[in-house]
Amino acid sequence: MSTRGKVRFDGIVKMHGSFAALKGVDFEIEPGEFFALLGPSGSGKSTTLRILAGLDMPTSGRVFVDGQDVTAMDAQDRDIAMVFQSYALYPHMTVFENIAFPLEMAKLSKAEIAPSVTDAARKVKIDHLLDRKPGQLSGGQQQRCALARAIVRKARLFLLDEPLSNLDAKLRLETRAELKKLQRSLGVTAVYVTHDQEEAMTLADRMAVFMAGEIQQIGRPAEVFAKPNSIDVAAFIGSPPMNLIPARYAEGDVIVSGQRLKTTLQVGGERDLVVGIRPGAVRMVPDGIPATVELIEDLGDSVILDLDCGGTPIRARVSDGDIPREGQTITVTARPQDIHLFDATTRKRL
Amino acid sequence: MTGKQFRLIAIVAISVLFLAAWIFPIVWSVLNSLKTDGDVLAYPPKLIFAPTLDAYRDVLFGSASILPNLVSSFIISIGTTVITMLMAVPAAYALARLRFRGKAFAGFYVLATQMLPPVGIIIPYFLILRNIGWIDTYQGIILIYLSFSLPFAIWLLVSYFEDIPFEMEEAAYLDGASRLRTLWRIIIPQVRGGIAVTIVFVFLNAWNEFLFAVVLSGNTVRPVTVAMFNFVSVEQTLWAKLAAVSVLAMLPVVILGIVAQKHIVKGLTVGAVKGGGRR
Repeated sequence: MSTRGKVRFDGIVKMHGSFAALKGVDFEIEPGEFFALLGPSGSGKSTTLRILAGLDMPTSGRVFVDGQDVTAMDAQDRDIAMVFQSYALYPHMTVFENIAFPLEMAKLSKAEIAPSVTDAARKVKIDHLLDRKPGQLSGGQQQRCALARAIVRKARLFLLDEPLSNLDAKLRLETRAELKKLQRSLGVTAVYVTHDQEEAMTLADRMAVFMAGEIQQIGRPAEVFAKPNSIDVAAFIGSPPMNLIPARYAEGDVIVSGQRLKTTLQVGGERDLVVGIRPGAVRMVPDGIPATVELIEDLGDSVILDLDCGGTPIRARVSDGDIPREGQTITVTARPQDIHLFDATTRKRL
Repeated sequence: MTGKQFRLIAIVAISVLFLAAWIFPIVWSVLNSLKTDGDVLAYPPKLIFAPTLDAYRDVLFGSASILPNLVSSFIISIGTTVITMLMAVPAAYALARLRFRGKAFAGFYVLATQMLPPVGIIIPYFLILRNIGWIDTYQGIILIYLSFSLPFAIWLLVSYFEDIPFEMEEAAYLDGASRLRTLWRIIIPQVRGGIAVTIVFVFLNAWNEFLFAVVLSGNTVRPVTVAMFNFVSVEQTLWAKLAAVSVLAMLPVVILGIVAQKHIVKGLTVGAVKGGGRR
């Protein structure tokens, strides 16, 4: 594992006029970590990456890389490599020249450059395409060329801005796995921006969930999935997302559509709140909350049921047992440990 | 006859008409340049005649040789083109990329200078040059030509620079390139086509210019467009020689046009689609 590439964001604020793109962002990334910045568009994740790269200046706050304050440092002096969403390959240069460019800028000799370029190209399996121009490559090959250009220099940080979003679904899955292997074998610190929660879940060692210019939660993907700390994070993570149902809490039970659900959580008193249940945690039982099956989406290995639960829409994922028919009324419940509770006003986890 | 065939024939017919109207003076000049003065004035016009290169020999090597004038034209045109490009490329890049106070105004100013009627400023220009003693000098004419070619070149180049995505530059910065090196290695190679078009237009405008040249030049610096008038006098017009000079003056234009044809067509389309593309 690398010992380089430790990142610290300290109170980063970014204003665009009177609009706050980032409202005070703090986080740390450990060397060798694969760190994802996850969030919907406009949440500030790309701005965060650009500030780390040195392409944007924060309005206030400080950025540290390996303990050094780089806030005012130019992008070209930061020793940070980046893969852009559009790949940003230089169209007038061959693949070889593209990959060689960062080494050339680092004033390496031709004799040093050639083997490094071939090596990087081999790692991403495009070493047979070195004489082509980017325009003669497929989308997937262009993407690999951009990766090779980023890894060739062995920079201390490896930034990726939605690198898979321009690939088709099949290629995206393949490349995702390769990307993870590549990052592990290089042992480099990677910061990965994506709006796709599945990408973040599968790739990242840890992730930061951005909403409206703030980090809502930082943690390992499994942690964030298991314990989302706000309604917004809960609604964003998981596919299909968590069911969030207005409910009432009384005496250790949650009352949903007039039916009581047991919960292991004790929040005290009697109050209105929002109950969260993952679609996979919704169980069909002989005796539970009645729900009408409105639509069945068959995914092959499982089905998604769109249920109407006394006026509240709920989705359930069922992978075995009897699959109900559309229009049928079934009864559902959830185990006490699968129930999440959120404050209806602060939207925070209870 | 189907509608499609009819349309094709109509398009060809109209094109031929326009082409004929455009090419006739050129063909006529070439024919006249190969005639004797007697044949030029023959009526009805002679289409079949004994061609002679006498007119060319006279205008090139005779007592009133236009060779020095061709040299003058080349010095003026090349000088104007080189200086224009050296200044216009960085200026256009700045207008396309950097954010600075007054950028919108700068863009408008550049365009507005193109709207002035040349005749309106010819007297002020003459007075200015006379006051600094630059009438009939290369630096004088080139300076005046720059005042037209520079805004034009900047305006043309900006839309090419704007076509290059920001990410391309940002990638270069992260690869460790400075701003100047990025401009030289990443940006300029991608606007080569636009630079070629601009060079052609600037060169041609300078080469063909007559109005300012006739007022601001003299006996030392006399471009070929002005020198042609030597062959027109009160008593007579030496048609064959005049035609020969015209053809000689046209040659660089035609050669340049053929060499840069591909770029010019592409350049014109970019302008058409983007409408100048100024932000």
